[in-house]
Amino acid sequence: MDILLSIVVLLGLGVILGFGLAVAAKILYVKEDERIAEVAKRLPNYNCGSCGYAGCNAMAEAIVTGKEQSLKKCKPGKEETNFNPIIQYLNEHPNDDGSKVNVHL
Amino acid sequence: MNILITFILGIISSMLIDNVVLSRFYGICPFLGVSKKVKSALGMGIAVVFVIVLATLICWPLYNFILVPAKIQFLDTVAYILVIASLVQLVGLFIKKYSPSLYKTLGIYLPLITTNCAVLGVAQGNTDQALDFLSSLANGIGTSVGFLVIIVVFSCIRVRLESANTPKAFKGLPIALITAAIMAMAFMGLQGLFSGINV
Repeated sequence: MDILLSIVVLLGLGVILGFGLAVAAKILYVKEDERIAEVAKRLPNYNCGSCGYAGCNAMAEAIVTGKEQSLKKCKPGKEETNFNPIIQYLNEHPNDDGSKVNVHL
Repeated sequence: MNILITFILGIISSMLIDNVVLSRFYGICPFLGVSKKVKSALGMGIAVVFVIVLATLICWPLYNFILVPAKIQFLDTVAYILVIASLVQLVGLFIKKYSPSLYKTLGIYLPLITTNCAVLGVAQGNTDQALDFLSSLANGIGTSVGFLVIIVVFSCIRVRLESANTPKAFKGLPIALITAAIMAMAFMGLQGLFSGINV
């Protein structure tokens, strides 16, 4: 009986809190450049920090906003698996005003 | 009147006399991690105040009106962590929306409020001592404001320490830990401040 009750109570609590968070996430939604997530996906995602940024996400943001142009800063990244896909992706997805994102190896 | 005095005394005693960081050694991780700049220390402190006060407000009714009648008190820690984790997520969303720069400075320490033992310590302490709702609230407010005050004071000292002429071996964290120890000793002087007052 205790087991059943525990499951019901915790499940109910989880559902209520999860629903609340989902609503909050909708209300407090921040619009982000979807290219940042796409570039981050193509980085090695070790979050090693050897590029000098706080992590792969921070580096991806710097690349997309044009603050970082040298992909070689990413030490564990490989040319064929990481850098070339990023360059290709950014060539296909230019900025809103039509200008290309400047990146090189 | 008596209730009000007890409430205020409860806040002051858990804020200064039983300060979480300096006398119970809870929440040392953000205390050392986010205290390099006054601004981020202030942001961290306010986020912790928000989480602890709200967690107290939710956890007390949760324990007394749901877990106790259902006779499943053994689930208290799990239920509290669930509430705290959700609150931290909410604070994270909120800060990300309204202060992206603070979101960046807090970094990994923001989600780590979940595992800040000061937060769970307050909720668990309220349960263990079987405090009533008002005393729990006083404990929550006092503890979290105490954390806020101490982390801000400590960050001010650390900013000053940056430019101080400390011996090379003590630069950075070692001198910060020594400072924290001296602060803890100073706060021991407040022990027994209310011992003569009977409310």
